[in-house]
Amino acid sequence: MATYIINLAILIGINAILAVTLNFILGYAGIFSLAHAIFFGIGAYTAAVAAMKFGADFAAATAAGMLVSGVISLALALPALRVRGEYFVAASLGLQMLALTVFSEWKSVTGGIGGLIGIPPPRLFGFDVSDPVLFLALTLACLGVILIAIRALVRSSFGRSLKAIRDDETAASALGKNVALLKTLAVMVSSSFAAVAGSLFAFFLSFINVESFVLEVSVQVIAMVIIGGTGTLLGPVIGAAIVLLLPALLTYLPYLPPTEIGSIQQMIYGLAMVLLMIFRPSGLWGYGSSQDRKRAAP
Amino acid sequence: MTGEILFQADNISKTFGGLKAVDNVSFALRAGIITALVGPNGAGKTTLFNAMTGHLVPDRGAVTFLGESILGLPHWKVARLGIGRTFQDLKLFSHMTVLENVTTATESGSWLWQTGGRAAQVERSARIERALDATQLQRRRDTRAVDLSYAERKFLSIARIMASGARLWLLDEPASGLDRSSYDRFLTVLRNEVRAGVTICIIEHNLDIVQSISDRIAFLDQGRLLAEGEPKTILSDPALAAIYFGERAP
Ligand SMILES: Nc1ncnc2c1ncn2[C@@H]1O[C@H](COP(=O)(O)OP(=O)(O)OP(=O)(O)O)[C@@H](O)[C@H]1O
Ligand SMILES: [Mg+2]
Repeated sequence: MATYIINLAILIGINAILAVTLNFILGYAGIFSLAHAIFFGIGAYTAAVAAMKFGADFAAATAAGMLVSGVISLALALPALRVRGEYFVAASLGLQMLALTVFSEWKSVTGGIGGLIGIPPPRLFGFDVSDPVLFLALTLACLGVILIAIRALVRSSFGRSLKAIRDDETAASALGKNVALLKTLAVMVSSSFAAVAGSLFAFFLSFINVESFVLEVSVQVIAMVIIGGTGTLLGPVIGAAIVLLLPALLTYLPYLPPTEIGSIQQMIYGLAMVLLMIFRPSGLWGYGSSQDRKRAAP
Repeated sequence: MTGEILFQADNISKTFGGLKAVDNVSFALRAGIITALVGPNGAGKTTLFNAMTGHLVPDRGAVTFLGESILGLPHWKVARLGIGRTFQDLKLFSHMTVLENVTTATESGSWLWQTGGRAAQVERSARIERALDATQLQRRRDTRAVDLSYAERKFLSIARIMASGARLWLLDEPASGLDRSSYDRFLTVLRNEVRAGVTICIIEHNLDIVQSISDRIAFLDQGRLLAEGEPKTILSDPALAAIYFGERAP
């Protein structure tokens, strides 16, 4: 039981990192990406390969994942962010599908459909941190560092520029902001931080395959951000907890046939998103009410 | 009264489909004065601004600022040269506070953090406070732009351009819909800024405002520049008045 709760907490922490990093572009810069699971995956595969082939410890494997993820995000951001928002959504969907194909076909590196098995236990500064409690501490420490970094970025002039771009791109560029460059940087920061979640995930399971990085995962992270509250620091963390706890709680409800839990879960998410859009468009943790949004209309 | 030529447009044209929105317009903005751009609805005033700031590229013609061509430069590069503008629909950063709206206007020059250290920081805050004082938005500094009144929003768009430090201001109907006392305050802000060295080109429909504030008037109709000159000459021309008030001669 205790192990179960610790494992669940680790998964919540990993997903919270995904949600927080997606929120950095979605909530603060208004960039809607359907490929977040890919950067999660790139982090996971890179860390796994670094550990398996080169004996990297957690820190080195994570750094490698961040680097590869950040560089590959440029391939998406540089061409796609020069055009309008809708095209970025389409381009990110394209990347999601393309990269997933690479994950499942590039057998020599990713192990193909079967994935990578036998990722060594994580070590940090020479210590084994595979004990669940230690690994939970490591996960929470990563989440904490990322939250602090994002908070600093959001409060800097960079963060203000991103919010300005989110609210009105034309006005932002009329104030001298290089919109394409700022958005590219934001995507790069978000993607490299998402890779940290990937590295944690790979070491946590000691096994990864493409199923953890499919489109549904990207969509689920979006749901976490929207439910928790876009453009807030802690909202996505809460969103991640809710989305992961819900199925766990449902299994404890009597009279629910286990085979139906999946579809009931989908219905609850769907209903929650619709109700939020109507009553609290800025999410559970977000500012303001639906009245604000109405007044915002011209 | 008129100084050096700050900005010059030569024979610029812009068509949308078959429509000549701006048709072979040439005009100059001289430093240190207020030029009013007037003309009926759809005359091409906003399109002319867009062509001047790189928001759209004219089909033909040349655009120079301080003697250098700025034709084809992206919007943000034009802005960094010191050409600021406001928009007819304001384009405020709605979900940011008044203070954030004004602060971000002072921070165009770098990426993650601002350069220039402490001295630059002090200079930027001084600019921010001056803009908030002049537009009387101090007590609203922590209010989000969407929650402001109509007049306050108009003043916020002025505060933003003030804080940006632009030396040429292109204002697109900044006073429309303001009540009497607001627009007196507004005119005071503009006069003070011109005294401090700013050059202004303002699109304005109210001819009383135009008369009381402008040093030159450019009159645009159906994409063409019909006249350019001293306010009293332009405003007393019966042919222009007829066009302006829609009594077009057959
Ligand atoms: N992006 C565009 N695409 C197509 N037509 C346009 C575009 N922008 C402006 N026009 C047209 O060009 C003409 C000039 O428009 P513009 O907005 O410049 O006029 P204006 O003088 O600013 O008018 P107003 O006083 O109503 O603001 C209008 O007929 C308008 O419909
Ligand atoms: Mg107009």
